[in-house]
Amino acid sequence: MKVPYSWLRTFFDEAVAFPEPRRLAELLDGLGLAVESVEEVPGAPEGAIVVDVRSVAPIEGSDHLSRTVVFDGGTEHVVVCGDPNVAAGMRTALVLPGTYLPAVGLTVQAREIRGVPSSGMLASAKELGLFEHGAGVLALGPDAPLGAKLAELWPAETVLELELTPNRADAFSLLGVARDVGAKLGLAVRHPAAGADCGDPAGDDGLTLDVQDPAAAPRFTLRKVSGVTVRPSPVWLQRRVAAVGLRPRNNVVDATNFITFELGQPNHAYDASVFEGGHMVVRRARQGERLTLLNDEELALDPADLLITTTGPAGDVPLGLAGVMGGAYGGVESSTTELVLEAALFDPVTVRRAGQRHKVITDARTRFERGVDPNLQELASARLAQLICDVAGGWPDPGITVFGQDLTRPAVPYRPSRVRFLMDFDVPGRAQRDYLVALGCGVQERAPDDWLVAPPSWRYDIALEEDVVEEVGRLHGYEHIGMTEPDMRFVPPASDPTHRRLRDRLAAVGLQETMTYVFTGAAELAKAAAPAPVVELASPQGTEKGVLRTALYPGLLAAAVANRAAGALSLFEVGHVFGDVEEERVALLMRGDRVEGGWRSGLAGDFFTLKGVLEGLAGLEGAVVETTPAEFAHLHPGVSAEVRWNGVPVGSAGRLHPAVAAAFELPEVYVAELRLPLGGKRIAFKEIVRQPYAERDLAVVLPVQVTYADLAARLVAAAGDKLISLQPFDEYRGGGLPSGSRSLAMRFRFRDAARALTDAEVDALMENVIRAVRSAGYDIRA
Amino acid sequence: MAAEHDKTGSRGAPSDPDTREGLGAEAAEWLRTIGDAQDLTALQQLRVAYLGKKGEITQRLKALGALAAEERRVVGGRVNALKQAVEAAIEERKVALERLLLAAQLAGERVDVTLPGTRPPQGGLHLLTLVTNRLLDVFTSLGYEVVTGPELETDHYNFASLNFPADHPARDTQDTFWTTDGRLLRTHTSPMQVRYMETHKPPFKVVVPGKVFRNEAVDVTHEAQFHQLEALVVGERITMADLKGAINEMAQALIGPGTRTRLQPTYFPFVEPGAEFAIWWTNPRSGREEWLELGGCGMVHPKVFEAVGYEGVTGFAFGFGIERLALVPYAIPDIRYFYQGDLRVLEQFRGTL
Repeated sequence: MKVPYSWLRTFFDEAVAFPEPRRLAELLDGLGLAVESVEEVPGAPEGAIVVDVRSVAPIEGSDHLSRTVVFDGGTEHVVVCGDPNVAAGMRTALVLPGTYLPAVGLTVQAREIRGVPSSGMLASAKELGLFEHGAGVLALGPDAPLGAKLAELWPAETVLELELTPNRADAFSLLGVARDVGAKLGLAVRHPAAGADCGDPAGDDGLTLDVQDPAAAPRFTLRKVSGVTVRPSPVWLQRRVAAVGLRPRNNVVDATNFITFELGQPNHAYDASVFEGGHMVVRRARQGERLTLLNDEELALDPADLLITTTGPAGDVPLGLAGVMGGAYGGVESSTTELVLEAALFDPVTVRRAGQRHKVITDARTRFERGVDPNLQELASARLAQLICDVAGGWPDPGITVFGQDLTRPAVPYRPSRVRFLMDFDVPGRAQRDYLVALGCGVQERAPDDWLVAPPSWRYDIALEEDVVEEVGRLHGYEHIGMTEPDMRFVPPASDPTHRRLRDRLAAVGLQETMTYVFTGAAELAKAAAPAPVVELASPQGTEKGVLRTALYPGLLAAAVANRAAGALSLFEVGHVFGDVEEERVALLMRGDRVEGGWRSGLAGDFFTLKGVLEGLAGLEGAVVETTPAEFAHLHPGVSAEVRWNGVPVGSAGRLHPAVAAAFELPEVYVAELRLPLGGKRIAFKEIVRQPYAERDLAVVLPVQVTYADLAARLVAAAGDKLISLQPFDEYRGGGLPSGSRSLAMRFRFRDAARALTDAEVDALMENVIRAVRSAGYDIRA
Repeated sequence: MAAEHDKTGSRGAPSDPDTREGLGAEAAEWLRTIGDAQDLTALQQLRVAYLGKKGEITQRLKALGALAAEERRVVGGRVNALKQAVEAAIEERKVALERLLLAAQLAGERVDVTLPGTRPPQGGLHLLTLVTNRLLDVFTSLGYEVVTGPELETDHYNFASLNFPADHPARDTQDTFWTTDGRLLRTHTSPMQVRYMETHKPPFKVVVPGKVFRNEAVDVTHEAQFHQLEALVVGERITMADLKGAINEMAQALIGPGTRTRLQPTYFPFVEPGAEFAIWWTNPRSGREEWLELGGCGMVHPKVFEAVGYEGVTGFAFGFGIERLALVPYAIPDIRYFYQGDLRVLEQFRGTL
C-alpha cells in the first residue's frame, strides 16, 4: 500500500514533532509495517498555470486540431490543441513555452501549427507527470484559482510503499498506519470521521434493503445524498488519489476511493435512479445469471457468488459482485445528481472464493479477504457523505438505512509478565497499558498479572495472549531483544540424512554433483524411457514442467545434453523421485573416458568403470554390491543390470539404450540409479595372516550366456576354504574358440592361515576346480 | 692427482704401481684387457679366462705343487699377487661398467616433466551442497540434530497444522504447486516442524535442510524450486532472546565475529511473535555494508503446539533460503544457473582443499 507522507501527516497535530520520511520508514519497519520503498514523486512542472478554456474552434484542414483560447485570469493565450474533448468552460493547465516536461522528456515551444501560432500547450496528466492518464488534457475543479502555478497546488510528494502482511488488515489504510505510528510515538491520532453526521436509522430515506444472506453480508449501510454535481475533483483530492496510485476520475468516484484509503472501508456510489420504485437486494446469484463488470468484462455467475442487486426501473438487475467489483450498470454518470452510498461488510471467504472463481483481483477484494473493521461502516458512510457534499455539493439525507450490529471481539486474558517470559525483556505495566490503549484495546487490570485485553474491532489478529505480547513487543521494539542460549539438555543423535558422506565420496572419485528440477514433462520422461508420471501438477509452469520426476537419470541426461561440448562427463545427483511412493535416490552418469589421457593413453569409460565406482563405495562400507543381468527399458538390453546391495535390489546400472541416446543426441552413456540409503555392514577386525599365498591361473572356455558370477560361484565352491581370492584377468572371444564361447582366464590365490601350503596341496585343490569345470560341461583352455 | 690416487688406493696393495710393476708385462697386458672390457658379459668372459677352473691363474696355482718349496714360495707369492691384481681390476671395471649402465638407463628413462599430468577424474559438490554443508557444520557444532522430510506434502502438514486457515490470504504468500490428487509440493521446510514434533518429545534442537517449491514467475532471483534451512528449538522455557542468540551465533559462524543481526516484526501464521531477520555484513559484490534480509523467525505459535499435542513448552523456529547465501557471496548473477547442470558453472565451485 502506498502511504503519501503529506497525507499521513494530516492525522497528527501540526504542532507536534513528526519524523522525516526516512526516519518514518525505519519506524514503520520496526513496527512490522515493512517499507518496500520510499519514492520521491515530483510535483507539477514549474511553468504550468491554471486556465479556463474560453473557446474552441476547428482548424481548417485538420480533423482533430483546434484553435483553443484559454484565459489565465488576466491574459488570453491561443494554443493549438489535439484533444477532441476540450470544450469551452473547462478548467485545465496551460504549459507555458520554455517549460520542460520531464515525464515525456519534452520542452514546450511556442510555434506555429497549421498557420496558427500556439503559445504553449494544454497537457494531459501523464504529460505533466501527475498520474497515468494520457487521453485528454488535465481536468481541474473550480477550486483551482485561475493563473495559479500548478506546481504550488500540486507539489512534490514522498510516497512510502508498504508491503503489508496478511494479518495486518487494519493497516491497509492511512488511519491504520497512523494508529501504529501514534502508538509508537505517543502521539494522538486525529480520526477523520470524528464528528461526522451518521444519520438517523429511524429516518425515512425512501430506500429499502433486503439482505438475504446475513452471514455473507453481516453489515450493510445505505445513505442517500442529493443535489450533487459530478465534475473534476479539486486539485487536493486528485493529488491524494493519484498519490496512492489511482487515476482521478470525477469528484464522486475520487471521494469514494479517498475514503477507502483514508479509513480502509471499501464503498460504492450508485446513481439513485436505479433504485426508483424498487429496493436493493443482497443475494446469491441465480443459475445462468450474468453480470457485466465496471471494466466491461462479462461474468457467468455461480450460485455461490454474492450479488448486490436492484429491483428498480430496469427490473431485477445485478449491480455488482459483492466485495469484489461493481457492475457497469448503476454507476455514477456525469449527469448524476442523486447518489446512494454503500458501505458494507462481506464475509472474507465468500469474497475470496468469488474472486478466485472469476480470477478478479481488486483492492476491495484484498481488503475484504483480510478483514475490514466490522464496526466501521456507518462512520465511513457518514464521512463519505460529508466529503462528497464538500467536493460535489449537495446534502445528505437525514436518515440512513442500516443492516446488522456492531461486533465485539472476545477479550483476551493477559499476563503482562508474559512479555518477559517470551521476549526476555521488561516493559513496565504502565507502558504496556499505554501501548495497548493507544492501539485501541480496552484494558481491564483485574490483578497485577491478570488483565483482560479487549481488542478493537479492527484487529482481527489479536485473539491470544501471545498476540498481545507481540503488540507490546513490537511497540517497545525488537531491538531490545537480548541474545541468550537455550538452556536444555539435548544430545543430537549422529545421522547423515543429507547423504553427505555419499556425496563426498562420489565427488572424491571424480563425479560432479548436479541438481535438476523435480518437475519435468510426461514427454521428457517418455523420451528417456523412464516410468510414466504418477504425480501431476494442477497448474504447472508449462507442459515440460507438468509432472514430478519418476527417476533422476533423465535430469542427468538433460545435463549431459547441456554439456555436449564437454569431453568426458561424470555426474551425479542425490534427490527425491515421485512414483507410487516418494523416495530418495542417487543417480550416476558417465560419458567418455574415465581417465582422460590427453597426449598419452587414458582409460576408456564403460560399464565396468561405472560398476567399479559402485564397488568402491560398497567396499568402504563393507557392503557387497552385485550386478545381475536384467532388462530395464532405458538400458541397452545387453549392458543392463539390476544392482543388489547386500543382496537387496536397489536399482539399475548399464549403458543407456542406443535408441534413448539417439533421442537425446548423446553418444555412448552409462547410467546407474540406486535407492537411498545404501546400507553398510558392520566391519569386524580380521587378524593379518602372515603365511604366504600360492597362485594358480586357469582359463575356462564356456558359453557366452553363462555369466562370470555363475562360473565364479561354482569355482569358489569347488576350491574350498583355502581359496582367498579369485580374480578374472582376461576375457577372450575370437578365433580358436567354438562359436558362442568365450574364454575367461582367472587367477586363484590359496592360503592357509596356520602354515604354508605345499605345491601338491594346491595342485590337489586346483584338480577339484578343474573337475568342477568339466562336470559343468566347460572346457579348460590350454 | 690426489682424487685418482684415492679411488685406486682404497682397493689396497695390488693397485700399487710398484707391485703391479713387479708383476711383469704379461700381467700389465691382462690388466689393460680387463680395463678395456666393453660390457659385463666381456668382463665375465675375462674372469673365466683368468680365474675360472681352467683359467690361466688357476692353472698356475695348481702348477705350484710341482715346484720345490723355496721356489714355490717365490712363485706362489707372485701368482697370488697377480690373482689379487686381476680380481681387483675386474671388480673395478665391473663397478665402472655398472655405473655406465645405470647412467645409460637413467638417460633413457628421462621424461619431459613439463608435459601435463594425467589427472584422475576430479569431481565436486554442487555449490548449494557446499553452502548447506557449511550451515549444517555450524548447527551440528551448536548441538542441533539434522533431519529431512518429504517434498511432496499434504495440506495438513504444509498449511493446516501450521495455522494457515483454509481460505485465508496468508496462503497467497506461498504460491503453491498443487497436484491433481490434492497434495502439494511443500512451500517451505516448516512441515518438518510438525512431523518432527509428532514423533519426538522436547527438549530438542533440530535443523531441516531441503528443497521447497513456489509457483511464481521465474527470473534471475526467483526460482520455482529452491532450498531452505529450518531450525526448531523447543524446551521448557525458550525465549525470543534464545532465538536471537541462535541467529547471531549462526551469523558469527558464517560471516565472522562481531556480525550484527536484526529482528523486525512480521507475520507468519505459525509463529507468534513473528519476525524477519537480517544480518549486517559487507556485501562481497558491492563492497558495501548493508543488511542482508535472510528469513523469517519467531516463537512457535500455540496453535502449532496444539496440533502436535505439546503443552507447557515454548519454542522458536527460523528458516531462510540457502540460494541467497550462495548467490550473493559468490556473485552469481542468475539463480537459474543452479539447476541447469552446466559444468562451466558447477566446476567453478567444487570445494576446497
